[in-house]
Parts: sequence; C-alpha cells; structure tokens
Amino acid sequence: MSDLAVKVKNMTKVFSKGLKKSDYVVAVDNLSFEIKPGEVYGLIGPNGSGKSTTMKVVLGLMSPTKGDVKVFGYDSGDIRARNEIGFLPENPYFYKHLTGKETLKFYGKLCGFRGRELKDRIAELLELVDLESAANRRLGGYSKGMLQRIGLAQALIQRPRLVILDEPTAGVDPLGSRQIRDLILKLKDDGITVFLCSHLLEQVQEVCDQVGIIFEGRMRREGPLEELIQIEEQTAMTFSGAKPELLAKVRELIEADAGATIVEEGHPKTTLERLFVSLSHATATEEKEDEK
Amino acid sequence: MVSFFRKIPRTIVVLVVLAAFGLARTPFENRLGEQLIEAKLVVPPPGMTVLDQMGQSALMATLGGLRPLVAGFLSLRGYENFSEKNWDELRQTYQVITALEPLEESHWVNAIWHLGINATANMELDRKLPGFERKRRFHNYAQQAIEFAEKGLEQIPDSVPIRKQLAEVYREKLKDWENAARVYGEMMEFDDAPQYAERFHGYFLAKVPGKEQEAYDYLKGLYDEGEHQHLPTLIFEIRRLEEELKIPYPRRIPEADPDANRARPQKPKPQALPGGIVIP
Amino acid sequence: MSQTTPSAFEPATKTVSPLSLRRVMVIASSSVTQLVRMKTFYFLLAFAAIIVVLMSLNPPTTPAGVLSTIKRISFGTMDVFAWLFAIVSTALLIPKDIEDRTLYTILSKPVRRIEYLIGKLLGVLWVIAVSLLVMYGVCALALWSRETLYIAEELEAMNADARYSAENVGAQIALIEQQGLRPELGIAVLASFLKAAVVASVTIFLSTFASSSLFSIIISVLVFIIGHAHTMATSFWLYQTDNSLFVQLLLKVVKIFIPNFQLYSFSHGIIQGEAVAYSLVWQMTGLTGVYLVVFLFLSLLVFIDKEF
Ligand SMILES: Nc1ncnc2c1ncn2[C@@H]1O[C@H](COP(=O)(O)OP(=O)(O)OP(=O)(O)O)[C@@H](O)[C@H]1O
Ligand SMILES: [Mg+2]
Repeated sequence: MSDLAVKVKNMTKVFSKGLKKSDYVVAVDNLSFEIKPGEVYGLIGPNGSGKSTTMKVVLGLMSPTKGDVKVFGYDSGDIRARNEIGFLPENPYFYKHLTGKETLKFYGKLCGFRGRELKDRIAELLELVDLESAANRRLGGYSKGMLQRIGLAQALIQRPRLVILDEPTAGVDPLGSRQIRDLILKLKDDGITVFLCSHLLEQVQEVCDQVGIIFEGRMRREGPLEELIQIEEQTAMTFSGAKPELLAKVRELIEADAGATIVEEGHPKTTLERLFVSLSHATATEEKEDEK
Repeated sequence: MVSFFRKIPRTIVVLVVLAAFGLARTPFENRLGEQLIEAKLVVPPPGMTVLDQMGQSALMATLGGLRPLVAGFLSLRGYENFSEKNWDELRQTYQVITALEPLEESHWVNAIWHLGINATANMELDRKLPGFERKRRFHNYAQQAIEFAEKGLEQIPDSVPIRKQLAEVYREKLKDWENAARVYGEMMEFDDAPQYAERFHGYFLAKVPGKEQEAYDYLKGLYDEGEHQHLPTLIFEIRRLEEELKIPYPRRIPEADPDANRARPQKPKPQALPGGIVIP
Repeated sequence: MSQTTPSAFEPATKTVSPLSLRRVMVIASSSVTQLVRMKTFYFLLAFAAIIVVLMSLNPPTTPAGVLSTIKRISFGTMDVFAWLFAIVSTALLIPKDIEDRTLYTILSKPVRRIEYLIGKLLGVLWVIAVSLLVMYGVCALALWSRETLYIAEELEAMNADARYSAENVGAQIALIEQQGLRPELGIAVLASFLKAAVVASVTIFLSTFASSSLFSIIISVLVFIIGHAHTMATSFWLYQTDNSLFVQLLLKVVKIFIPNFQLYSFSHGIIQGEAVAYSLVWQMTGLTGVYLVVFLFLSLLVFIDKEF
C-alpha cells in the first residue's frame, strides 16, 4: 500500500513521428515526482514541454514508454484508479448535442450513479460551477468559459479523490478564473488532491502547495512553493513615506549607513513568474553552450 | 506470459486471428451457402457468360447485394417501356432483370408476354410503319420472345408458366402449330401443368401437315381413357381426322356420344391402395 | 462536501465490475441520442415517400406482379438503408469522439475500452433495428392494403363470371396471397438486420485503426462488395484452371479474410415468396453472433493500446 496519491518514477514518453525509427519526439524525459494526498500540485512549463502528456500518462490514456506511474497504489490506467480520478482535459469538448444537465447525467451514469443520488449530485455541481441557468441549453451554444466550467463539474461528478486539471483557466475571463481558483481552494479544503497545470502563474502561486517546473520534458525545479520562491542571499527593505529624493538618498545612505527607518527586513520573495522566465532562459542558454 | 504476448506486434495477432477465423468458418459457410441456394433463398451469382452481357450497373448490383432493389426498379422501367411501346428498350431492360434474378419465373414470363404478345400485336396495328417493316419487326419480336423462353428454360427447366407463355406466342402469333404442339407436349410432363395441355398437344399436332396420323392416334388414346375426356372439341377433332385419314367406319368413334343420354352410373371413385396402386 | 475525508489518504477500495452491462448501455444510449439528434430518422420520411410513390403507380401487370414489385423495392431499400447506415454511422461515431476529444473524458471515467466499443456498436444496431421495424410497419401496411384490395376485386370479378370454379378462384387468391403480406417477410427484415450487424462490426474494427472516417467508410464498402463475390470467387477458383498463382492466392485471401456477405442475401428468396426453414435462420443468427464477437475482439486488440 502506498500513501501517495500519485507517484511518477523515471517516466519517459516517446512519440514516433513518422515511419522511420529515427523520427521521434521525446515528450517527457525521465520525469519523477510525487503528489501527496490532499496536496495541490502545480506543473508549469512552456508550451510543448510535456505537461499534458504527463497528465494523460497518469490517467492511463497513454502508457509510458519507460518508467512507472502509480495512482493511489494502482498502475495508471487501472480501472480502479480511474474511478478515483476526475479529469478536465485542455480545451474540453463534449457532445454538442447534449445539454449541460444531460452531459453531467451521462458522465454520472458512466460512473455508476443513478436515480435520486445522481440528480442531487448534478444539481449540486451545477450550483457549484454556477451553470444552473444554462443547465438545459445544448453545449453547442456554450461559451468557452461555460464549457470549462461544465468540464470541471464533469470531472467532479463521481466525487473523485484526485482531480487532474489541464489548464482549467484557459480562455476564461479574470472573474471566471478567480471563481475557478476559489473552487480549487474549496477542493483542497475538502481534502481532495489536485494536480493541475496552468500558464497563469499568479494563480498557481495562489493555490499550489507544491510546484514542478518542467521544460522540454525534464523536471527543472521542484518543491514546496514557499521554498521555490525564496531567494536566500538577498535582503529586502520596505519603506514607508519615502519621497523620490529620499530614495536617491537611501541609495547613498545604504552605502554610508545613515538613518532611514527600516519597516521590514527579511527574505524577499520573487514571483513564480520571474523564476519561470529566468529558468527558461537559463536552460536555453545552457543548451546553446552545450551545442557549442 | 502476458508480457510475452504484449511483445508480439498487434498487426500480426490481428492477422492471425482473422485468418484462423476465416479458415474455421469457411466449411460451415460453404455448407450453409449450398443450403440457402438449394432453398432458393440466395440467388447464385450469374455465370460468366451472363456477366459479360450485363451492364455495369447490373454487375455492381450483383456484387453489392442490391439485386432485388435494382430488379424492382427495372421492372418499373419495363412497364414504362411497355406503355411507351418502346420494345427495343424493353428487351434490354428485361435482359438485365433476368440476369439479376434468373430464378424468378415471372420475369421470364413477363419478357415473353411483352415481346411475344404485346410487341407483336403492336406491330399488327401500327399504321405509321410500312407493311414490310411491320412484318419484319413482328417476326423479330416473336423471335426475341422465343429466345427469352429458351434462356429462361435453361435456368428453370421445369417451368410451366414459361412454357405456357411460349406456347401462346407460337399459337396466337406465329401460327406455328408444330412448335405449339411440342411445347404443350413438354408441359404435360409436369405435375403443375394445366389439364388442357394434353389435349392442346393433340389439337395442334392435328394441324401440322403430315402429322395427322400421329395426332389421330394420340387423340384417340385420350378418347379411350374414358368419358372425362369426351369433350366436344376433342370429338370434333377426332371426327375431322377420321374423315381426313379415311378411317374405316367400324373403327370410328360412335356417332353420338354413347354416354350422352345414358343416366350416368356413379362410378366408384378410384380407390387408392398402399403403394400408390389405383383401382379404376 | 465539507467532510474532511480521511479516506482521501487511503488507497482506492471501491470495486469496479469487470464488464458492466450498465456502462455499455449508457454508452449505447448516448450513441442513440447522438444519432437521433443528427436527424438520421429523417431517412424514414424518405422511405415513406418511396412507399407512397410506389402505391400510386399502376403498372400493367397482374396483382401479384404489383405486390412483388412493391416488395422488391421497399425491402430492397430497407436492406440498403440498413447496411449503408451501419457503415456510415459506425465510421463516423468513433473518429468523431476522438476528434472532439470526448473520448478523453469518457475513457478517463471508469469505463473499459471494450465497454465503449460494445456500447457504440449496440447504439448503432439499436437505431438500425428501430428504423427497420418502422419501415417494415409502413411497408406491411402498404402491402396489406393493396393485397386486400386486390383480393376483393378479384373475388368480385371472378364470382361475376360463371366460368370460374371455386377452385379457380381459390388458386388465383392464393397467387396474390403468396406475393402479399406474409409472416416470412419479418425474417427478410431480420436478414437485413443481421447483415447490417456484421457490417457494423467490420466497420468498428476498421475505424479503430483508420485515420479518418472517409477511409473506414470506403474500405468497409469495398469489403462489403467483395464479400458478395464469395461464390463467384469460388467458381473462379474451381473452374478456371489456368489462373495464375497470383489470382489463386488473391481469391484465397478474399475467402479467408473477408466475411461472406452473400449468405446474408437470403432475404432475396423470401421476398420472392419462397418458404424459409427456421434452422437456416438460426444458423445465420448464430453465425452473425460469432462474427460480432470475433470482430469486437479484433477491434479491442487494436483499441486497447491506442493512445489519444
Ligand atoms: N499524440 C502525440 N503524437 C506525437 N507527438 C505528441 C503527441 N502529443 C504530444 N506530442 C508532442 O509532445 C510534446 C509535449 O506535448 P504536450 O502536449 O505534453 O505539451 P504541453 O506541455 O501540454 O504544452 P501546452 O502548454 O501547449 O499545452 C510536444 O512536442 C508535442 O508535439
Ligand atoms: Mg497541454
């Protein structure tokens, strides 16, 4: 028995592109990470870095070329594991000819729900994602944000213990994306494990406990959010009531050690965004040098 | 074990399963196919010679299992050709129809009827054509009807309806008594032949010059079978032949029907004994 | 939802049944909804129109001839509908799910891939069965009304003419009845359905590895047509001794790899008024079952490792 929600060990996924054997793409390269139950894990990285591929392997929609992937102790793809996972794919599409309610009913039935229980669950979820008014409209007429929300509801239908969200806020307006953030926090409060990837780093920073930064299929940096965004050898000062002249003076005075009031002193934080950009740059230049 | 199977490329597994299934089902399917053809439920594909003369659409229909549908639509076209008196096209239509469903008797009968009776009648009446042309076409159509009959009988050798229709063409249109007599004669052999076939065989034989004696013997044989054969036409024909052949009076049939005035004794019905022996 | 679940820290315990008929039915009924909302049932209106046109025709032939033509065309249309619909809808459904990425969400639920395949197949077959029954109903009504009309007319005409004995009249009526509405016609409909079922299972198999719907439609139609040439192939094989080795090999391959659809044309004889033995019907049904199982198994072989 494993006490981990997700355990990915040395996972590699290779896609062959053509008929030739030499024609292949390494989408994920020897990736390892773990997600503890109840945790919110954020995977970030530039386009094409292998985030969606990782998620599909965890779900069992793809099998890893190499390595080991376990979900709640089961091999990925095991139907018992899938029973515990709710998945929102990137740019979700559902049957356009179904209404919102019918969509949830369909997925609920697939998970074995029936009758009263299913009905209540659907009502509950429609309220949760704020789609009660659109419940009887066909998905063909839904906006992008509405689709994303019905997708989220669909992912939650069987009360999964692990929710995998591939860019849950893509194409959603700021207000909507804040709603989704609140929803994720609510899931976290309920003890549900969340594995998400997103390009909205600010949001990742707001909701995630653990963050992995992936680039070209490899894990570049991983750890608790707090640790990742701490920068050790610098000190930050926060002034109050500083005029421009004062600021100029401060610069002098810092060197000369003079009497401005220091309100706060400690470890300043970078933003995840800055870290992300710098890492991407760093690996890119490293590789250029490697090539030379 | 499982991992070993996983290593075999799927394409090979699929092909092996498909081939094994194919080999396993072939004997069963062959047997079933024969049974279905025997029960006249499935029409065997037309032979190579027929395939040659079929149009492309008919060939595709044969291949695609669309035969009943196409034959149905073509029958409608046949009726249309008929109402437009478009006899040449009608012939082509029926060639395709009969190629599609060679075992369907009614197609052959219809083809013979349309060409042998309707088309020839039309030639007798059509005032737009010069006389010699009408005559020529009359014989063409009758000949085409006979060809249909011959092909049809190749497919369904025991067919009475085809023979009935063919005999009608000989009898009514071509006045070809010899052939009419021959066809009625063939027809007699079958259980589902009409009663009159045996008599008609004799009547028309009697009209063939030189066959009078043969016809007389045959008809007399029928007459002697008993009173159920003593029909006015039969008696009339026998008398005519007796005159013609100068049969001596004692051997001629009685002047008046000997049974005509006699109160008919109720003959006991022929009793069937086991083994099909009938006591008259 | 606010119970802080300690269960979240335990491995999954809920059992999931190996092959759930319920999940199959959910997939099947969703496919039915899909097909219905694609307005496929409008075809039935076209069929009704064909019947109406047929009924209005008055071809110069015997009553039995008219009935036979009506039967030929309406049952022929039903048959074509069944197999064509089986190919097209089956070839559209699965690639559409992949393209629309609905398959991601379906397969990430606790649904086995075989359940998905069976469900899709059943959905298509259900729509075909219902359509066939409706068409059969329309057609039976047409046949029956024509038949009763003809019989009444014939009786009147023949009874008015003293020349005809009761036996003559009976024979004439029997002739009309043979081409009229008879219970055997139901078996002709079953034949079309069985044929469609086999075609659908072949198409499902093809669409598990085909890259597009068009490809699987074209290949399925080809397989279907070649599948009608079995006997022809056999007779080639038997009677043509000068065939090249290549041709012989090709014929063998055809016989082994391609289903024998010719057998499924046994509705043909029934439409023409032939009697049908039940043992043959059972054998055909059984054969169809085997075809479905084998082709579903083959589909699964390909589908199980497929990545989306
Ligand atoms: N089915 C596939 N066949 C071939 N290559 C693929 C396939 N799926 C993904 N790839 C390749 O794998 C790499 C990783 O793709 P992936 O979709 O995982 O990236 P991502 O991190 O999700 O990107 P994005 O942020 O744009 O969603 C890409 O180079 C992509 O081209
Ligand atoms: Mg992605």
